[in-house]
Amino acid sequence: MSKIAREEKTAFRMILPYLLIIVLLFIFLIGSNIYNSFTTEEGKFTLQNYSSVFTDPVVGRAIINTGVWVLGSVIGQLLLGLLVALLLNESTRGQIIFRSIILILPWATLDIVAGVMWKWMYNDMYGVLNDVLVKLHIINDYIPWLGSENMAMMSVIIANIWKGFCLSGMFFLAGLQTISPELYEAAEIDGANSFKRFWRITIPQLKPVIMTTLMLTIIWTINYFPLIYIMTGGGPGYGTETVVTYIYKLGFRFLQFNKSAALSNILFIAIFAIAFVFLRNITKEEAR
Amino acid sequence: MRKSTLLVLLMLVVLSFTAVSQVINIWIGGQVAELDETWNMIVGKFEKETGIKVEVQLFGFDIYYDKLLTALQAGQGPDLAFADLGGWVPTFAEKGWLAPMGSLLDSWDGTDEIWPNLWPTVLHNGERYGLPWYTDCRLLLYNQTMFDQAGLDRNNPPETWEEMVFQAVKLTDASKRVFGYGVSGTKTEHTTLAYIIFLYGAGGQLLTDDYSAAAFNTPEGLRALKFYTDLALTYGVSPNAVTYNEDDYRNMMAQNRVAMAVGGPWSFPLIETANPAIVNNYSVSIHPYGAAPASVLGGWALVIPSASKNKENAWELAKYLTSFDTWMTWIEAKGGPMPTRQDVCFAAPVLQDPKWKVIFDTFPHAVSRPPIPQYPQVSEQIQIMIQDVLLGKATPENAIKIAEANVNAILGK
Repeated sequence: MSKIAREEKTAFRMILPYLLIIVLLFIFLIGSNIYNSFTTEEGKFTLQNYSSVFTDPVVGRAIINTGVWVLGSVIGQLLLGLLVALLLNESTRGQIIFRSIILILPWATLDIVAGVMWKWMYNDMYGVLNDVLVKLHIINDYIPWLGSENMAMMSVIIANIWKGFCLSGMFFLAGLQTISPELYEAAEIDGANSFKRFWRITIPQLKPVIMTTLMLTIIWTINYFPLIYIMTGGGPGYGTETVVTYIYKLGFRFLQFNKSAALSNILFIAIFAIAFVFLRNITKEEAR
Repeated sequence: MRKSTLLVLLMLVVLSFTAVSQVINIWIGGQVAELDETWNMIVGKFEKETGIKVEVQLFGFDIYYDKLLTALQAGQGPDLAFADLGGWVPTFAEKGWLAPMGSLLDSWDGTDEIWPNLWPTVLHNGERYGLPWYTDCRLLLYNQTMFDQAGLDRNNPPETWEEMVFQAVKLTDASKRVFGYGVSGTKTEHTTLAYIIFLYGAGGQLLTDDYSAAAFNTPEGLRALKFYTDLALTYGVSPNAVTYNEDDYRNMMAQNRVAMAVGGPWSFPLIETANPAIVNNYSVSIHPYGAAPASVLGGWALVIPSASKNKENAWELAKYLTSFDTWMTWIEAKGGPMPTRQDVCFAAPVLQDPKWKVIFDTFPHAVSRPPIPQYPQVSEQIQIMIQDVLLGKATPENAIKIAEANVNAILGK
């Protein structure tokens, strides 16, 4: 016992410098962001950055867009992930191959590659999506998928569902495999049909996993930037401008670093609140 | 024994530091970022002549702006860097990131050879902060095969807006997804650049001469906006404008899908890569205009960051790179881009080709984008204005009014 503790101590000492650097870097970055958000370019204290964030009409639009983007993406990713996990949980033969193909592939695709790929698939002159749909006689003429604000938002959400459902699928599959088969056998003997078994056993047993996945997916989706940036750049108009794309634009395009810092601090607090609520519920569940 | 080893080590460290500080770092971004061997050859000659060591770093256009911005902000930049003439220089100068170059430029005999309409792009508060190195201007790029097929003269592209519409309609066959003219409407700089060409071509201007207020809400500005968006909306000669810009149209042109679009000297190698068969079947001309010929210029300048510890050597390198001999060597090896030195433009044998003649004829008509730090925001308002009209969210009259108010609010800050 004491030997393990000593080994742990040595291990801790070994990673200590690295840990310190990471923590200090984190503190420094957060600190400088907070400092920047409360100062003018000349370094004087001001609240103007925050007031300009709240009066900026684009921020309001970006918050609404972020809401739509998160809602659509998260619901889609979780439902599709659950469906795929259930399907994969049934088949045992060749599971590894299916898992790697279906689940890993979209997730392992680089953000840039995925963005460019979807942009081309949606293209209204050469796009494969239009071509397939026309050949299946589902649509008569090519649709400009990224050509109007609402369509563009829907299109990036679909792309993001594709990109992200794999991760929830993996979590759910892991969760499903921990459910004891005896529960299902007992229910079957009691005469519960498959629908009932799903609602009464699978979902309650999976709930902790669902909650964790939900939290992580929400946070990741709020912060997810590359797909939108590559596919639409926040356009057309402000149709797909989310809070993170706008933070980037404020900082790197308009060089308003202080306003950009203020907006990202607000976003940080919002995400922190979401995580806090989720984590409190999860610990409560576990305590029960 | 151990002490002496330490001493040697210490000396080595000191030596390496002093050696490092003698090296000048140059950051090169943009199109020329692929031309590694030529850079090595040119820089190698400089190293041999002066004994100054140069470290060259090349960046692709997509990442260069963010990279340079982050470095300058942190005071960790290179000693000499490329900066886009689309407003980077005054923006960086306003932040205090660049060293003034006025007195250096005055002392150099090459300064007089630079095309005069380039200087506003590097000017901030009356001081020059950059040495323009290569340049370009936007023109009409057109596909001659498609002109032949539509029964038009391949050597007689449209000169006026009326001729352009007439020919574009003839070239368009929407059912086959073949279009006469590509209207850039994405939320990118391309859209603003296209509007500037139409605006100045109608006799208007973007901002007042002192850049203090919007100047495009005039009959000329409205005419340009209406005509530009009508190409897509009324005449239907363009693919879905909101989703494409000139880069997409260039690729479509290589596939005989779009007959005319905005392009420039940089388009030549790119369109030929996209389809080698197009080599003798495309050309350029001055972009059609409503009232007066117009174009917008771009390019890159050499700037010295204020954080540089090697400003003198950096200036030596800048002078060397912009010298007549270096440029002649460069053009001989690469055939482009367009030098900022007039003497090279007219002396280099490669540049006497008819396509380049068109560019040199157009260049004096080219305007620069407003060299002010707020330009990116102004540009975004122009993009929104055009997209709102293209998406049917606003009439041209309303859209231009809103854009004017927003631009004035941005400039009034």
